Amino acid sequence: MVLEEVKLENLEKGHILAFGECYKKMIHPSSFEILTPLKEISESLRKKLILICLTASLEETENFEDLKKCLADEIWFILNPELKDFKDDLWARVLAEIVKNSRPYGFFFPATIIGTSLAPRLAGILKLGLCAHVNSLELKDNQIIMARPTYGENVIAKLISKSVPVMATISLGTFPINYKNKEPLIKKVIFPETFSWESKLKIKRFFPTKKKITKLSAAKVIVAGGRGLKNKENFQKLFELAKLLNAEVGATRPVCYEGWAEEERMIGVSGVTVRPKVYIGFGISGALQHTVGMENSEFIIAVNTDKEAPLVKIANVAFITDASILLDILIEKLKTMK
Amino acid sequence: MLNYSFSEEQKILIELITKIGEEYIKPYALKWDEEEILEERPLKALADADLFGIIIPSEYGGLGWGCLEMCLAIEKLSYYCAGISTTYAATFLGSYPIILFGNKEQKEKYLPEIAKGHKICAFALTEPQAGSDAFAIKTIAKKEGDFYYINGMKHFITNGGIADIYIVIALTDPSKGARGASAFLIEKNDPGFSIGKKEKKLGLRSSMTTELLFNDCKIPKNRLIGKEGMGFIIALKTLDFGRCGVGAQAIGIAQAAMEVSLKYAFYRIQFGQPVYNFQAVNHTFAEMATKIEAARALVYNVAKYIDNGAKDVSGVSSMAKYFATDIAMWVTERAIQMMGGFGYMRDYPVQKYFRDAKCLQIYEGTNEIQKNIIARELLKYYK
Amino acid sequence: MNKIIVCIKGVPIPGTIKVDSETHTLKRESLELILNPNDRVAIEMAIRLKEIYDFKVIVISMGPPNVIPILKHAYALGCDEMILLSDKIFAGSDTLATSLVLAKAIQTLSPYSLILTGLKSIDGETAQVPPEIGALLEIPSITNVKKLFKQNGFWIIIRENEYGEEELELSEPFVASINSHTFDYLRPPSLKRLLEVKKIEPVIFTANELGLSPEQVGLKGSPTQVINIFEKKIEAKGTIMEGSPQELAEKLIRILKTKDLI
Repeated sequence: MVLEEVKLENLEKGHILAFGECYKKMIHPSSFEILTPLKEISESLRKKLILICLTASLEETENFEDLKKCLADEIWFILNPELKDFKDDLWARVLAEIVKNSRPYGFFFPATIIGTSLAPRLAGILKLGLCAHVNSLELKDNQIIMARPTYGENVIAKLISKSVPVMATISLGTFPINYKNKEPLIKKVIFPETFSWESKLKIKRFFPTKKKITKLSAAKVIVAGGRGLKNKENFQKLFELAKLLNAEVGATRPVCYEGWAEEERMIGVSGVTVRPKVYIGFGISGALQHTVGMENSEFIIAVNTDKEAPLVKIANVAFITDASILLDILIEKLKTMK
Repeated sequence: MLNYSFSEEQKILIELITKIGEEYIKPYALKWDEEEILEERPLKALADADLFGIIIPSEYGGLGWGCLEMCLAIEKLSYYCAGISTTYAATFLGSYPIILFGNKEQKEKYLPEIAKGHKICAFALTEPQAGSDAFAIKTIAKKEGDFYYINGMKHFITNGGIADIYIVIALTDPSKGARGASAFLIEKNDPGFSIGKKEKKLGLRSSMTTELLFNDCKIPKNRLIGKEGMGFIIALKTLDFGRCGVGAQAIGIAQAAMEVSLKYAFYRIQFGQPVYNFQAVNHTFAEMATKIEAARALVYNVAKYIDNGAKDVSGVSSMAKYFATDIAMWVTERAIQMMGGFGYMRDYPVQKYFRDAKCLQIYEGTNEIQKNIIARELLKYYK
Repeated sequence: MNKIIVCIKGVPIPGTIKVDSETHTLKRESLELILNPNDRVAIEMAIRLKEIYDFKVIVISMGPPNVIPILKHAYALGCDEMILLSDKIFAGSDTLATSLVLAKAIQTLSPYSLILTGLKSIDGETAQVPPEIGALLEIPSITNVKKLFKQNGFWIIIRENEYGEEELELSEPFVASINSHTFDYLRPPSLKRLLEVKKIEPVIFTANELGLSPEQVGLKGSPTQVINIFEKKIEAKGTIMEGSPQELAEKLIRILKTKDLI
């Protein structure tokens, strides 16, 4: 593919940038998610929305076609063999050059592990403000206002950043992926010869994850468990139920910290946001940390002993009983029905 | 309810054990009991917290504290799991002979490792035919050149199989009876030494109890503790010190049983009100609380008496052991009754406290033997 | 002796933060702070490295004087020196301003081998400070590290991300945030160290001593600002079902049928 080339110093200035995570032959879907709110904002501000992708080469990217229908107006590729591996220091320096030369109005990252490693490093280099794990973006008097739950409690903080570009990482799964018909303009940014592609990090080996990455954010049905299930053994029964209902298993933060479930199953602020057709929460009281990640589910069922629990209140139907007991009976009944 | 004026150090000790109990013990105690296992984690936590060094003199890497601190530690630990506290207390029982009677070389070699918790101890006196009648032991230690050869067996030995160091009482001169017994230090890998059957117990199920087998067990002569013939003096002295610890265990268990059942009685509604409102229930708790305080006062006072350097501690330490453990038995039984069916279920811990408490009336000298000792001491004291 | 610096944070006890519905400010029900649980993992990592390579472990925290017990707790866990960065003008610092204060203090400790941190705090949950410190000190930063050891004069690091585990090689110094599930066992405080630390106090550095002006730190030095804070109120909206677990299970199955799940 022949790309339009543009020199670093000639980059267009003043737009909105989004980080497109291209790694291990994949464009991380969260990069497309964050374009959804940013598109609205960039249109209101009459600025272009530009996706910034760092990678070694364009070959072999499995979901390259998705790029062509994403919401970005332009995609800027920075291509160099040294970008094959994620090296925090080098990648941050590359982005710092992009920012210095294109002087964007905003720069946003998906809150992936790479995104949350890279954004603060870039913010540190450029001494910029950075908001973390934002789950809402709005524009007021041309100022970007960001919101996020904080203090692990039912507290929401609204934040602004006084420095330009405004920077934030955006919670995973918070926004749906939208596409458009018009293909974005794809450009290749040419860095000057003098730029050093060296890194102090040497990636020696890579062990791909053996765990099947849970498809939580895409699941149609989710059965989730919280501390009310009392122990890991009870929590494990959710997997049996999930099998019977063709569902995915989700978990609250405390449960992941207890080691009952892998962190990939965490729903909420520091985990993923889900919007299934049916969500069933077993023994989940519903701290904001969790509910922000599932409140947009189409139909919410809560099972809890506490009538006053927040999840019971947001549920379409709530069953007031011991979640572990109900879970046992439910599995038994469903098994006999099959 | 009684507030003891503990020193800053003692308060730090209690707070630390509480922390360890909450984090490393409480969530798992019922599971350990159910599965009859001893996990390494709680012992590692006790070791990393320096808690195995409480009574080890500071020149050997311990804290050099006394019997009262040991009792406070054991009481608090028993509140969380008497199985763990038995493992813990038994290692003190195995280290007392070295502290009290060991020579400098033995102390230097073993005490620092015990203080760090790198080496667990056990104390082995009981044999199949020698329980309360401890003088009936048959295990023999025969000296040949620079070595002793030990033959025989011990049974019901706490920390059997998990200990690194065993203090074993054996006869060096069977013709002299009790005066012919000696104490030896056996290391777990000594040739001819092996672990026999692992016992299945009613309670204290996360503490390991096994037989010890000696089949021409060959040990160098410097493993003799004290002198030949001192075996029973060493054993009795060790038990004098240890008995307070059993009393402390009893208070810890009783306290836990009372708290669990009390909380239940506050919240359990029958006939339209908390069952605590019924006199049969609240008077039982009044008795429980009073008896626990009385037992605690006795145990602490005996511990302080020992720490003040008293020589004649047999009678009073027997009182502490027998009184506190009988109370623990009574309290844990009543605690089950106060909770009705729930108390009997293995989902709740009170039934475990009840099973654990039973052993305390038996081990380290049955309560009947304790009364024998007290009676014998009375005769001396009021002669 | 080579040094490891561990940055820790005192966080409010979970559940003690509420919002004043009128003033929209945070109400703290308790001034007591606890050691951020994720930082305990970083301390454990430091202590294990100290046991292998004989490091001196320096623990450092920014905050008001009620952070001192947290530093002492870290000492009891095995850290060797305590540093508190405390000044009224630090109040209100965002992650960048906080990182600047920490970086300035760490510079005074140079040379050092490693800076370790927890993955994130349980209150702010930003995970931003470690990479920001790395950027400000111009040393590498690596996040979500599960393993660290020395080999042929280099450090070998295993870090985890969504794609798998990567093995990295780099030379000191660098900043690493430690994965919260790195260890099965975290040691408790030591009794001896608890007794020792009663007699010692952390070294305290103020803004002035670190060469920081009021413009660089606190609210003034923080590019990000909280403009509003509120508690999310929830109104009940659905149906509440009560009864025996058997009955409830039946009802739930009927609902699942209407949703075509069975």
